[in-house]
Amino acid sequence: MKSVLTTVIASADAAGRFPSSSDLESVQGSIQRAAARLEAAEKLAANIDNVAKEAYDACIKKYPYLNNAGEANSTDVFKAKCARDIKHYLRLVQYCLVVGGTGPLDEWGIAGQREVYRALSLPTAPYVEALSFARNRGCAPRDMSAQALTEYNALLDYAINSLS
Amino acid sequence: MDKRFFSMFNLTEEQAITVLDTPQDQISEDDSRYIAASHLINYPTAAAIDALIRAVQNTSPELDNRIVRRKSIETLGRLQATKALPVIRGCLADDDCYTVENAVWSIGEIGTTDQEILAEITQLLQKPQQSYRVIIHTLVKLDYRPAATEIQKFTTSEDGPIASAAIAAVGRFNQDYSQIERVLSFLQHPQVLARRLCIQDLIDAKYYSAIPHIAYCPVSIVFRLRGVRMLADAGLADGQLSFANVQPSLEQVLRDHPQDLKLVHSYGQLPTLETLIQDLYDVDFGRCYLAIRLILEHYATAAPAALFATYEAEGRSDYGAHFHIVKLFGWLQHAPAYDLIVEALNNTQPQFQKSRAAAAIALGELGDSRAIPLLQASLKEKLWDLKYAALMALAKLGDNSAKIAPDEPDWLVQSKAASIKNN
Repeated sequence: MKSVLTTVIASADAAGRFPSSSDLESVQGSIQRAAARLEAAEKLAANIDNVAKEAYDACIKKYPYLNNAGEANSTDVFKAKCARDIKHYLRLVQYCLVVGGTGPLDEWGIAGQREVYRALSLPTAPYVEALSFARNRGCAPRDMSAQALTEYNALLDYAINSLS
Repeated sequence: MDKRFFSMFNLTEEQAITVLDTPQDQISEDDSRYIAASHLINYPTAAAIDALIRAVQNTSPELDNRIVRRKSIETLGRLQATKALPVIRGCLADDDCYTVENAVWSIGEIGTTDQEILAEITQLLQKPQQSYRVIIHTLVKLDYRPAATEIQKFTTSEDGPIASAAIAAVGRFNQDYSQIERVLSFLQHPQVLARRLCIQDLIDAKYYSAIPHIAYCPVSIVFRLRGVRMLADAGLADGQLSFANVQPSLEQVLRDHPQDLKLVHSYGQLPTLETLIQDLYDVDFGRCYLAIRLILEHYATAAPAALFATYEAEGRSDYGAHFHIVKLFGWLQHAPAYDLIVEALNNTQPQFQKSRAAAAIALGELGDSRAIPLLQASLKEKLWDLKYAALMALAKLGDNSAKIAPDEPDWLVQSKAASIKNN
């Protein structure tokens, strides 16, 4: 699993050298931000169902057409095109917060996923809208500390960027 | 092209263009330029194409604009807007690797024989941090054989899916499939994306012998069916395959029983039924199929109640689990699930599309003759896999009288109907 630590060690090992001072600085930076990341990870884990549902609801509310007969949300039960996938991406964001790197999103959510969406003509817009809502909705200190929110939003941006 | 999701956002062309042209900092909370760029796929008009070109020319670097720009490039590709080729070509030099990826892909969709553009795309293979798979696929699609040497370098890439694309491309260019075993080996890769992506490479390689291997790959039926179907179509066009060559694998995939898959996961010890039911929600279908196999082997008696419970709680709204629950009720031949399966057969919501053919197969397993007229009615639907599965289910129910439409457009459905008639 790729993280700042594994990347630094892997590149040093590949070159047969010790980690450089700039390598160690980036590790130090990652460790310093660990508390904020873990706070965000904990808050997200505790609320993941609500966060995913709110994001999904926001997407559907914005596009009420989806409630029309025969469309993607046309019954009172959530017939979620994207609810399960939003939860999947939020789970990967949470893993990234724990790992301290984008490895989980890269390896399980992004690599090849763009290709799959394009090949199957699946819409990315609902994910992008829902994750954008999650990013804009987060509020410090109500939901988490400002530092934790920064870490969380950076990963949401990363996911939005790579899906779009 | 599958267009079932294209009209999701119900905007008029004019509305979408207005939203797309609105400066990002003036966009209202209720609007989205990204949605507008996506939605213009529905309007292959000069006005829509011009608006998308304007969006591509807006190089403001913030994330919200960057994603609109990328999506606009993609939509221009889908619209095969030749007029946009110069502006898309300009994006090949962009710093943003996803913008470059979309530009390359769109040029592949639009099509070009311009040697300078093709050489420029090839040169991207020397640039770090690019989406090499997409670049390789596009060069193959545009049949640019001078790229073979550059592509060859990626055949030993540490990144499996990149190596897979490169091996398949070189095989296709040189008609030399001596390395294709390596691509086939990815069909059993522990990572689901590697399994899915190598199917695309086998399609691109036109390696028809891959069809039976793809049929055993533990990924969603969507990917297996797409692989078998696209290779079958290409093989028929090349005169190298006939229906008889394809039929066994095709029907194995449509039937979709876990015993016909080579699974890549395993458990150290038998999990509880509750755990296995939860596995039906996994996004890696390889895990779902393992769960189904274990449920059938160890929990066949207790499973129906658990399946009804999970269907009510979550399964009816999760298009992955929904599919597996429908199939499982079929394998369990659980008669009380008849109504649930019929509902799935007639569910027209786009994300539940694959559950419809699954329901047809499940109704065949159930053996209830009330399903015969419903399956016959399914033969009038547009979905080829549903029609084919309905023919399989009707044969299983002993009904060989069903008639497909006289102008049935799908050659596989036609061939299946003819084979039933001849038996």
